[in-house]
Amino acid sequence: MSARITRGDLRRMAARTFLLQATFNYERQQGLGWAWAMQPALDRLYADPGERRERLAEHTAYFNTQPTLASLALGAAAGLEERRAAGEGPDAAGASRVRSVLGSALAALGDRFFWFTLRPFAACLGVLLALSGSWVGAPALLLCYNVAHLGVRWRGVGWGYRAGPEVMSGVVRRRFERLTAALGVLGAALVGVTTAFLLAPGGDPRPLVFQVGLAAGLGLGLVAAQRPRPSPTEWALGVGALCLAATWLR
Amino acid sequence: MLGTLLLGGVAALDAAPVAQTLLSQPLVTATLLGALWGDWRVALEIGVVLQILAASTLPVGARTPEDYAAGGVVGAGLGLALAARQPFAMARESAVLVGVLAGLVAATLGVPLLKWQRRRNEGLARWCEAEVRAGREGALGEAHGAAVALAFAVGVGYCAVCLGLGLWALDPLVTRHSLRLSRAWALAQPLWLGLGLAQLLSAFVQRRLARAAVFGAALIGAWIALMVGTP
Repeated sequence: MSARITRGDLRRMAARTFLLQATFNYERQQGLGWAWAMQPALDRLYADPGERRERLAEHTAYFNTQPTLASLALGAAAGLEERRAAGEGPDAAGASRVRSVLGSALAALGDRFFWFTLRPFAACLGVLLALSGSWVGAPALLLCYNVAHLGVRWRGVGWGYRAGPEVMSGVVRRRFERLTAALGVLGAALVGVTTAFLLAPGGDPRPLVFQVGLAAGLGLGLVAAQRPRPSPTEWALGVGALCLAATWLR
Repeated sequence: MLGTLLLGGVAALDAAPVAQTLLSQPLVTATLLGALWGDWRVALEIGVVLQILAASTLPVGARTPEDYAAGGVVGAGLGLALAARQPFAMARESAVLVGVLAGLVAATLGVPLLKWQRRRNEGLARWCEAEVRAGREGALGEAHGAAVALAFAVGVGYCAVCLGLGLWALDPLVTRHSLRLSRAWALAQPLWLGLGLAQLLSAFVQRRLARAAVFGAALIGAWIALMVGTP
């Protein structure tokens, strides 16, 4: 009878996903981190050192996805490896295809949820609290993001292992999409509240120069957001240089 | 200052190599530095502006985004160090402006350094695969250890260079031209905040009219609540 992956192996894999991007590079992206996280499963499944090394080397190939949801792909791939070790699963090319498809599907979902929605939402919440001069903005930012981020990262390997390559199909996918849409609406409201707080913190309206500056910045930013270049940082540097020049030449 | 530099290393690790918990975000590092230097006001003013600009800078795909982990530590660290040497409020505002600008410059100049690290990691990955095939499975762990150590060292070193250069070059400027710099801060702060808020709004609204309406309603509602709620 072939070996099976244990809970302890899944926990070790989950712990190693925290270093998924430690060796991130342009050639294989997360490939090396993926192999490192997969190692506890391969150690369990392949007693023969030659075969184990061959499998481990296969896993160092190119892989890239949104790093939080990579846990799900890792668990699903470990399940496939278990079947492969038992002589039932796909061959090397098939496993690689599944990995690639999972990576793309999870990236599409994860980028939208974690990068484009949850991260800006957490940042906006932190900024709103910090604007009142309180230190609680930073803990709020960390808490808001990490409840989902660390939760999925730690438990995702187990979910992926149990659900297999269909981990993001059906109910889970729809839940993620609904959550992304709801956070988008809440985020728009949060930006509105932050803008109002900047205009009149504590009900005390700011000077006209500040209000006009904020409106001008918003307008400029909305125009700038339609184009990838110049980046927001380059715009901010330009605005800073312009303000310095204006006060120096006055 | 040693604590500031170590935080630069920790932020460099959190930004991409380890965990990505957002500990490296400018608001978080500025808050920690505010506690370290005992000056919340300056730290939060710098942290808020850098955070709102960093919020829309995303590490999607293979893109190398601006290094706001280093930018946040350098900006807040430099602003706090300069403000600590100035006794007057106006000079402290000029330290905040210089801190934000230094943070933006450090974030932009940090990109080639990140690219260099990623290219170094390409060699590490090739070496690692060859070692694994040759029978040394421990090479994977060694490669990860080396990459983490390199990222930490680069983070600490880059912050040290930026802070050293910044203090040497900008301290006399803040001392001599605090009036002009504080005026520039009064102009730049709302523009930067507006620019950052617009990026966030664009990320949430995504050209959907209903969400734009939610923004407008929240803005008006919160403004009325703030104005009416105050006696």
